[in-house]
Amino acid sequence: MKASALAAELTKTRRLRTGLMTLALAVAVTGLTIASAATSPAFSSPQDSWSALLAGIGLAFPVCSPLLLAVLASRQVDIEHQSNGWIFAQTSRVTPGALCRLKLLTTGPGVGLATITASLLVLAFGLLAGDGGAPPWGLWVGYTLCVLAVNLVVLGLHILLAARIQNQLVGLGIGVLGTLFGVFASAMPAAIAHITPWGYYSLVAVAEYQGEELMLQRPAVVSIAALAALAALGFTAVTTFFDHKEA
Amino acid sequence: MSFVVSTEHLSKRYGDTAVVNDLNLRIPEGCVYGFLGPNGSGKSTTMKMLLSLIRPSSGTIEIFGEPMSRHSRRRLLGSIGSLIESPPGYGHLTGAENMRVVQRLLGLSDQQIALAVDTVRLGKQMNKKVRNYSLGMKQRLGIAMALARQPRLLILDEPTNGLDPAGIDEIRQLLRRLADGGVTVMVSSHLLGEIDKTANMLGILSGGQMLFQGSREALFTASLPDLILSTPDPRHTRSLLNSAADAHIDGSAVRVSGLDSTGAAHLIRHLVNAGDEIYEARRDEQSLEDVFMHLTGGGEL
Repeated sequence: MKASALAAELTKTRRLRTGLMTLALAVAVTGLTIASAATSPAFSSPQDSWSALLAGIGLAFPVCSPLLLAVLASRQVDIEHQSNGWIFAQTSRVTPGALCRLKLLTTGPGVGLATITASLLVLAFGLLAGDGGAPPWGLWVGYTLCVLAVNLVVLGLHILLAARIQNQLVGLGIGVLGTLFGVFASAMPAAIAHITPWGYYSLVAVAEYQGEELMLQRPAVVSIAALAALAALGFTAVTTFFDHKEA
Repeated sequence: MSFVVSTEHLSKRYGDTAVVNDLNLRIPEGCVYGFLGPNGSGKSTTMKMLLSLIRPSSGTIEIFGEPMSRHSRRRLLGSIGSLIESPPGYGHLTGAENMRVVQRLLGLSDQQIALAVDTVRLGKQMNKKVRNYSLGMKQRLGIAMALARQPRLLILDEPTNGLDPAGIDEIRQLLRRLADGGVTVMVSSHLLGEIDKTANMLGILSGGQMLFQGSREALFTASLPDLILSTPDPRHTRSLLNSAADAHIDGSAVRVSGLDSTGAAHLIRHLVNAGDEIYEARRDEQSLEDVFMHLTGGGEL
């Protein structure tokens, strides 16, 4: 992929409020996590303080990410539909599949930054306001990396959806359904959570209530790795298909 | 004659429907090639095939003497500017920002961008968001985006669509200026009036097939205009013509159809020898549209 095409793609993102939306993702996840921790009795208990924050962030991401990622992808792709951009790109030697890959490249880092920022802000809150001693570093880093992978997979999926379906309301509607699925997947059997990318938000969760007790667990790393590999293959295959599709 | 674009038996079929059928395009270098035909006649499909946006079902395309293929496509597109379907231009960006997208995408210099903007005379509007542009301004920006790479060939699909007469005239003048500057322009339209007097080569497409291809003059020659004879007594003149002549009285004149130059000379000699007075003998003035209607059998394309 040429740097010039990437530079052109970055020029297009001007006034799309991409930064504002990624900031909104970070703020919403942080705010929701802090709000849920602050109202949870577990947060004031020294042994459950970090668990409460991890449970909160594990719920905040599936609540905030799917719709915001759908909006983010839709705004990046809809400009091509509105401006005859696909044909212009093709006649400027950038195929439709390559354009989708560029959009993931320009939007992905912002989503990554928002995810990591939210994680760091919640961590900072835990260190400042919590009473649980040292944070569970391994789980925290593991969760952050896993949820980052899921966010990027969902973003990639929405870029493809927005490119394929001109009516952007469809993508946004799928984002809403994704939110519901992501939130309620934790109450479903793990096999069902594996079916859609949104279900993986529950599989990466490292703290959850079992009965009345808040338990820590390792994220489903193998499942997430499989999802990431499958998504990378799928994204490459679909964008290659776009490359060969006639205008 | 060297051709910038030539196709051999170019066809595009979708299922059993042939959208473009056995097309042999010949576009000479430096001309404005008017590609005429009603909506759905296959103009856009042909142009998309030339740009390798869609694959031909059969036939070959040569651009600048080189076959257009998946391998040559990227290189050839570097010398082809185009405006297909509707003008490009990101509404949320200003004209200048749109040109910057083009500049970065194609690695162009500031000078190339400035030249393209000057050519379409859009310099004063470049800081305005494209969503606030009029349709004419959007078309001009689209052409500037196509021109920025300083193409040898410019392919424009109905660039005057939706423009008011002033906008159409502006595009016409622009095309003439470009052709004068050595750019070969292929421009499609379903309206004859938009192409008339701008194009010096014409291709007329109907139902995916080429009805005519050649110079404007050749098109007029292909459809002979009526001979109009002004005489003091048209009834008498008509009676002097034998029944084989396709002649009828038209006001104060006699109109004779289907006569070539030799036939016209013979007929005039016959009338003069018969003692008829002929004030004037002239060919009917016909617009490209009349020729087009004649060629296509009353415009039923």
